[in-house]
Formats: sequence, C-alpha cells, structure tokens
Amino acid sequence: MLESLETSMFYILVMACTLCMVLYWVWLGTKKEFVGRLATSLTIIAVIASTVAIILRMITSGHPPLSNGYEFLLTFCLGIMAVYLYAEFRYKLRSLGAFVMPIPFLLLMFIIMSMGPEERIAQAVPPALKSQWLTFHVITAMFAYGAFAVSFGLGIMYLLKLSKEDTGKKASPQGIVSRFPALEILDELAYKVVGFAFPLLTLCIITGAIWANYAWGTYWSWDPKETWSLITWIIYAGYLHARLMYGWKGKRAAWMAVFGFAAVLFTFFGVNYFLPGLHSYAQ
Amino acid sequence: MVEDSKSLTDRLWGAFSSMKLGLALLGIIAFVAGIGTLIPQTEQDPEKAKAVGQLWQTMGFTHLYNTFWFRLLLGFLCINLIVCSLQRLGGIYRRTFKLTPPSNLARVPQKTRKVVQGELVPLRESVQEVLKQKGYRLTLNDQGNSWSFIAVKRRLGNWGSFITHLSFVVLVIGALLGSILGFKGYFMAGAGNTLSIQAIQLSKGQVTDTFSVRINSAEDRMLPNGERDNWYTDMSILENGQEVARKTLSVNHPFAYKGVTFYQANFANGASFTADMNGQKTPVILQDQGQGYYQAPGTDLYLVTAIDPSSSSQKADVLFQIYKGSGADPIQSGKLSSGQTVDVQGKYKLTFNGLAGFTGLQVKKDPGVAVIWLGCGLLLGGLLLSFYWQPVVLSGILQSENEIKGTLTVGVLSGKATVSTREALEQFVSSVTKMLR
Ligand code: HEM
Repeated sequence: MLESLETSMFYILVMACTLCMVLYWVWLGTKKEFVGRLATSLTIIAVIASTVAIILRMITSGHPPLSNGYEFLLTFCLGIMAVYLYAEFRYKLRSLGAFVMPIPFLLLMFIIMSMGPEERIAQAVPPALKSQWLTFHVITAMFAYGAFAVSFGLGIMYLLKLSKEDTGKKASPQGIVSRFPALEILDELAYKVVGFAFPLLTLCIITGAIWANYAWGTYWSWDPKETWSLITWIIYAGYLHARLMYGWKGKRAAWMAVFGFAAVLFTFFGVNYFLPGLHSYAQ
Repeated sequence: MVEDSKSLTDRLWGAFSSMKLGLALLGIIAFVAGIGTLIPQTEQDPEKAKAVGQLWQTMGFTHLYNTFWFRLLLGFLCINLIVCSLQRLGGIYRRTFKLTPPSNLARVPQKTRKVVQGELVPLRESVQEVLKQKGYRLTLNDQGNSWSFIAVKRRLGNWGSFITHLSFVVLVIGALLGSILGFKGYFMAGAGNTLSIQAIQLSKGQVTDTFSVRINSAEDRMLPNGERDNWYTDMSILENGQEVARKTLSVNHPFAYKGVTFYQANFANGASFTADMNGQKTPVILQDQGQGYYQAPGTDLYLVTAIDPSSSSQKADVLFQIYKGSGADPIQSGKLSSGQTVDVQGKYKLTFNGLAGFTGLQVKKDPGVAVIWLGCGLLLGGLLLSFYWQPVVLSGILQSENEIKGTLTVGVLSGKATVSTREALEQFVSSVTKMLR
C-alpha cells in the first residue's frame, strides 16, 4: 500500500520535473507570465512528490534513504529542486530554472533507464548503517549538493550571457539572455550559494567522520568516496580563495563553479560505479 | 652573514605567507589524493596493491596517504596557514575592536557612497537612532565642526577565516597525536575465550596496556522480519584476573576502557567443545569452516570443524575432522549433535556443547580523537562565521555648511558580497531619511 503510493509519487515527480523543465524553456522563449507560473507550480509539485516519496520510503524501510543508489539519487533531486525553489523565490530568478531543472531530470532518467524495479526496492541495511549520524550526513549532503547544482546553473548562465555580450551584439531586447540578471548579480549569487553550501559540505564530511568513528573506530580512512568528497571540498575552497584574493570573479569563477559540480557528480557516480570502498553500500 | 640569513628567513616567511603557495599546495594535495583513488591502496585492497609495479610500490603510491612526502605536503600547508594567519591577526583585531571613525571625507569608502542633507541636530540624532535600531555597534568622533562615526554589525564574523585556518592545523595535530601515541588492531575470539590485549593482531602502533579481555558471549541477532538486527558481544575487562568492567557492545555502539575502544566489526559462527583427556577437561572453541584448529596437548592430532549446513539453525549439528601430523586427508571424521561425545583416536574424548559465536573486534587507542573533534568544531564554527555572519561596516562624516544645515556622506566597506553590502547602505539611508521627515 505505502509502497505503491511511493511508486506513484515517483512517477508524479518524473512528470512534474520533465514538464517544468520544458515550461521553463518555453517561458524563457515566450516570456508568457502564465507559463512561468505554471513552471514554478510544477516545481513545487515535484518537490512535494519527492519529499513524500522519500518520507514513505523512510517509513517503510525504517532508515534514512541511503541503502541504494535509487534512494540517494532521489534525495539528491529533492536537494537540487528545494534549493532552486528557494533561490527562485528569494531572488526572483525564474530563468535559472531552465538551467537547473535539467539536472534532476537527467538524474531521474538515469534512474529509469539504468535501475530495474528490483534495484529500487528498499533493502535491508547492514548494522553499520544504523546510526543517527547518518541521517544528518544525508540531510547535509542533500542541501550541499543541491546548492552546488544551483551554483552550476548560475555559472552556465553567466558564461552564456558573457559570450553573447562578448560577440558584440549587445544582448538584444528579444534575446533570451536579456532575461538573465546582470552579470555581476549572477556572479555574486553563485558566490553566495557556494558560501551557503561549503559549510554544509563540511558538516557532511564531519558527520560522516563521526559515524565512521563509531562504527569502525576510524574517523578517516581515505576510502575513495571520502577522498573524492575532500577533493570536491578543496575545489570549492579554491573557488572561494581565488575569488577573494585574486579577484577571480566573473568568467573564471563561473568556470570553477561548473568544474566544482563536475567533481560533485564524480564523487557520487564515479565513486559508486567505478571505484570500490566502504560506500559501496550505497550501490 | 647576518644580512644573508635575515633575508633568507624573510624570503621563507614571504614564501609561506603567500596565498599562491597555499592554493598551489591545496591543488597538489587534491591531485595526489585523487591519484590515490585510482591505484589500489594496501589499506583497502592489499591483494591488488601487491600486483602494482614494484617501482610504484617503492615510491609509495600503494600507501600514498601514509607516505612521508604526502605528509610533508600537509605539513607545508600547515606552516603556510600558520604564517598566513599570524600575518593577518593584527588586521583582523583592528577591524574588530579598533575601528576609528573617518577623519576626513577621503576616508569614507569611495566605491559605495550615499549623501543625505538635512539639519545638523536631527541628522545626528537619527543616524544614532537608526544604527541602534539596526543593531550596529557605534563609535563616534565629535570634534566641534566635524562629526563622524563608524558602525559595525556582526563584527565577530571577521574571525571566521582565522578560526577556519587554525582549525586545519588543529586537525593535523590531532591526526599526528593519533598516529604517534595510538594503536590499531583486531582480534577474533569465540564466546568463553580470554586473551591479553597484548596478544591482538596490530596494524599500527604499539600496545602498552596490560589488561585482558574475556568474551562472555557473542550473538548474531535477527529481527522478526528476517533482517539482521545487529551483532552483540558481551565482554569483560580483566585486570589481574579480576573483572573491572563489563559491557555489551554492537556495531555503532562501541565500548571504551581506559582510552582503548572496542568496535564490533564482524561476526562468525563456531562450535564449543570440551576435550576430556584422562579426566582433565579443556574448553575448545573453534570457528566454522576450519578457520583455526585444536591440537590436543602431547599429540599431533588436529581438530577442525564446520557447522552442518543441513541441520536446523536452532539445534545445529557439527561436522568434525581429525588430521594427523601434516597428512592431507583426515584420519577420522563424523557428525555430532549437541551433548554427544566421541572418542578421538583413543587419546581424548570430545563433547560437542553447542554453537558458539565468534566475534571480530577492532581495537583502537587514539588520544588524538578529542583534538580532531575540537578541530571539526572550530572548522564548522569558523565557516559559519565566515558565511553566515558577515560583518557590515558603515562609516560616515557630517560636514556642516552653516551652523544649522549639513551634508552627511556615508559609505559601506565593500565586503565579499558587494550587492548585499550596498543593500545594507541603502536600507540605512532610507531609514535615516524617513526619520528626518
Ligand atoms: C585547509 C585549507 C583552507 C580552508 C578550509 C580555508 C578556508 C577559508 C575560508 C572559508 C575563508 C573565507 C572565505 C570567504 O569568506 O569567502 C578563507 C579566507 C582566506 N584564506 Fe583560507 N582556507 C584554507 C587555506 C588557506 C591557505 C593555505 C591560505 C594562504 C596561505 C589561505 C588564505 C586565506 C586568506 C588570506 C583569506 C581571506 C581572509 C579574509 O579576507 O577574511 N587559506 N579561507
């Protein structure tokens, strides 16, 4: 009963996410307020559906959503959409949706194409994963990774707008990029979003270390997932410093935001699917 | 000579206070750490690590994170951070506690400025009132014809990056303490066994403690739905044969005694026997599947055992085999149910008492862990200050045109986020003008 409700929520999520992505694109092209509203409403529906799906999963399985890749990806999608939605409301930035929503869409497509139903069902977790610290670990990862995805979208917007303006054609009033905020605002927003996410990523790594210390007596064992999360952390630390000290704002900062998110994705996919380690639990 | 050595230290100091070096180090560390995830590491995958080319092994690529040169990189980063922090300490202190109001117009931040005109007295009063309402900390300079102020909000945010940088040094110290003073080991023991802490298998450090450990019971507990609940080990600490502590531990619920912590790591099944040799009874506990054997004293008979897979898990039977010397084939074998006794080659009588759990425990002593948690706390606190508690500094000067009217020029120190500091200035100015009306 609850399981089938969860499945329906998943498909509602897939539909809402796909539709809102398309609508954000249409809105960028047509500037019809109605379309934009609809896109935002569908994003809200997608957030609600994924939240409900995750909560149902936690109720039926009795543990945080980390027993397999399906659960983690679902949480990742929720994190991206929730942080995006916050940014849209806080900064009145609907055009960002066109660049952020494709990420959860692709993640959901990945789930549908690569995971059979038997890979999606809740699995028993080994005793080591029964720890409250892991709940914090997952929540912080969700928001940190979500925010990094949003800074990625901002970086892409920055680069697009910059290249249009560079080619001389001062963004025509009709051009899509004219709907983007000023370059300076995009740049600073990306910085703020990374500044929001960096402490969370740090907390994610720390709660992971606390858990590992309870479970194995080692707070840090350099397993590939840990190492890659550290590398991601260092890349974003580099982003913050370069920006601050060399005035690497604008273009280079935007590239670093894009690059940093590539590291986030590798930390998740690369490590789970190519490299072995403690976190192979999460497969 | 003195000249030279001074310039050398100066140059070293200069190099280490450079953020370019810092960023380069961070980049190199990230890159090297990444390489370590592509090459099998001895700690995680000893088999594959051995297959890596000899040259790479010698250079340390298979135990990369423990190599001297990787630690050297971390050490350089630490020095870099300390030098950098020391150099900036004075500035941070002044920006937090010693803010001085601008002495002339040129000292008001240039990039972001606003001007308000009005009568002198109400203007002064509303500036002070608004700053107080908005929670700013105010320093005034009132010298007859020139009146100026500097106001700061969330001033402790200045310390964010300092604390963050120091925390990294604390973390490295914690890790160092652990690797110098601590040890790490593992043992597997069946219920009923007692062993000295000195006898465990070590992978790091040395054991200086002298107590013994007795495994009272070891259990693999299942939930009613068939999932594994947890593995439980009831164990006692013995000092000179006396029980001084006892606890049941399980995965995620370790047990610490005098700085030595025991972690439930894994579990195996085994069987408990009694060997009766001319009336002298010895308890024998053997792990399933021939992991370990029993050699009866004064014989060259070796006993191994396996749990009979076809028997029920509640009342399991065991299969046993007796080997003689280095012979490859057993000279005696059979099956025993609980309570049954068999004669082994006329040398001793073997009784099967029932199943016994074998518990695998990680044992660790790490006096650096507390320092690590301190470092984590500082790191997080520093980051929260840096990003969630950014200071705002407003400063302004009021110049009078005649004795009644004047012009207030206010500026805001452009912090890391220029758009939002500008907002703070605009809010301030609009509140002041509102109050003047
Ligand atoms: C372990 C690595 C490091 C971490 C986690 C770290 C973290 C931080 C953070 C969070 C900030 C504040 C950034 C912001 O507010 O945007 C910062 C600022 C800064 N960092 Fe680092 N840092 C590290 C290494 C270094 C190194 C190696 C240096 C130079 C030698 C350095 C020099 C600075 C400087 C000069 C600032 C500017 C401080 C300010 O204006 O408040 N950092 N660092």
